[in-house]
Amino acid sequence: MSKLQLITKGIIKENPTFVLILGMCPTLGVTSSAINGMGMGVATMVVLIMSNMVISLIKSIVPDKVRIPAFIVVIASFVTIIEMLMKAYVPSLYASLGVFIPLIVVNCIILGRAEAFASKNGIFDSALDGIGIGLGFTLSLTAIGAVREVLGSGSIFGYTFAPDVMPLLFILAPGGFLVLGYLMVLFNKVAKR
Amino acid sequence: MKSSLLNMVLVLFGITAVAAFLVGLVNNITKETIAQTEQRNKDLAKLEVLPTFEGEAKFEDKCCEIGEFKVNVTTVKANDAIVGYAVEAPSLTRGGYADRITLMVGFVEKDDTTLINGIKVLKQSETPGLGANMTKEGNSLERSAVGKEPKSLAFAVSKEGGSFDALTGSTISSRAYANAVETAYAGYLWAKGMLPSADDAKSGATNTNYEESEAQKGEIKNE
Amino acid sequence: MGEINISKEVIQGFVDGSVSVEAITLFAIVIGAIFVNNVVLSQFLGICPFLGVSSKVETSAGMGMAVTFVMALATVVTWALQNFILVPFGIEYMQTIVFILVIAALVQMVEIVLKKVSPALYQALGIFLPLITTNCAVLGVAIIAVQKDFDLLTSVVYSTSIAVGFALALILFAGIRERLDVEDVPQGMRGVPIALITAGLLAMAFMGFANVVPLP
Repeated sequence: MSKLQLITKGIIKENPTFVLILGMCPTLGVTSSAINGMGMGVATMVVLIMSNMVISLIKSIVPDKVRIPAFIVVIASFVTIIEMLMKAYVPSLYASLGVFIPLIVVNCIILGRAEAFASKNGIFDSALDGIGIGLGFTLSLTAIGAVREVLGSGSIFGYTFAPDVMPLLFILAPGGFLVLGYLMVLFNKVAKR
Repeated sequence: MKSSLLNMVLVLFGITAVAAFLVGLVNNITKETIAQTEQRNKDLAKLEVLPTFEGEAKFEDKCCEIGEFKVNVTTVKANDAIVGYAVEAPSLTRGGYADRITLMVGFVEKDDTTLINGIKVLKQSETPGLGANMTKEGNSLERSAVGKEPKSLAFAVSKEGGSFDALTGSTISSRAYANAVETAYAGYLWAKGMLPSADDAKSGATNTNYEESEAQKGEIKNE
Repeated sequence: MGEINISKEVIQGFVDGSVSVEAITLFAIVIGAIFVNNVVLSQFLGICPFLGVSSKVETSAGMGMAVTFVMALATVVTWALQNFILVPFGIEYMQTIVFILVIAALVQMVEIVLKKVSPALYQALGIFLPLITTNCAVLGVAIIAVQKDFDLLTSVVYSTSIAVGFALALILFAGIRERLDVEDVPQGMRGVPIALITAGLLAMAFMGFANVVPLP
């Protein structure tokens, strides 16, 4: 697989949200607006790239039996670091993402990539894999957030064009499931072509 | 790599130690900034809820700790004249839909009357599109209180006989908002030494007819 | 100054520092956690097992039981850690790392103990246990319970109710999916998409519970 493919595969062929169906909790939980989706995507991407690189570095010294706990510690540390950085420098975004920031730890995408890719490949390839999958995740979350924001509150990236007329349902819980379901159908149709 | 008890313990311990060290380091670096950002936001909010004025602002804080909460009354002065009072207060006796909300409420004194000059939401984690609308400018809750005399307000939502027009579909968030304004007003009176004694007050002014109003609800309410 | 419009409870707070929160009964917490704020359908936690395991009613019930058990246990342990170690030593920022490790260790321990003590129960729940480590509902509930400053009893009641809500959503959903299997679903919607749309409708139904009780 070429270096470029490592990055692009996460966007369509191995899209974590629509194809691998991983990390559904943050996907649904934070996408009530495009900017929230994007923030979560970028935060996850940063954690993913860092943890992929470190895990690829330490893979040869970690005994098999404690592999998972060791990986979890690495991931949890990066999540905590990102959490503190966000709190310090982007407090408004931190406030709106709420409990989902610490929950990046249990985002199956990250542990999944650690197991499936980083623990078998070199540091450079692992970083590229993190960028690719992270990019795919960010794009999907932004797309879902944008659709929900447009349908639910009549605005896009915070810019309101149709206040108070859109059905609120779409930014509430049921709207999350419905939008993701229909987007998935659309994605499958387009990607398979 | 093969697992043996020794290398398992060593590796796990090593990784955890490095991780703890790094996390502690970042915590030390960011702690200051986090505190500064919070303080700066609060200072900005204090000025935002008061009328604009010339000259440099001087803050005098008076803080009351109530259990784990605190009500902070800031007397804002410019050119040795009192501009107004900015009170930071939580919804003391009512949780919001998700958590307690915190408001900054500005009081100004004109002649003999006290008016609410402005309100800013400092902390809320209500549902986007519903309770979170309390942060929008000119929402129904803000309009119910800003420019009014706090003395004349009833701190409850309108369908429970209060003065606050609830946000659409967000009764619980709106109740918490009214309660935070009430706490702020109490804080303002407390700072001026004018807080009435508890014996004179009605018990649970905000709690009256709670059960009844729950039962009467006709519309679909989410919060 | 006319009638005083500030309630007694608020004034009392300024006088002696007591906070009389509107009483939230344990009953309200139970109903709130199971129906009003259902962990899957309104809080979006534990979606992976919700979509992955819920194709049969029987397996859903098994998963539900396993999660209930681990969640209650994890909340007790994390509550104790938070209040007796993290807070006294001022290292609350290590919360995420400590909690996830404890949950991972706990799941392993439950697995080992169950295998020794009750092979029958292990047979029933065994395969679900490893999946629970990455069930974000467990970590999520532990964090929420700590954030909301619940006491121990309330924490346990809260987490158990959340888990019951999880099991309820899982079982209801599995029931619907069993029926869906024999229906003629359009090609492009088969599998996860139709499951998500079904979940959306189910979530809409659960919105009807909103405001039934005051929430914690």
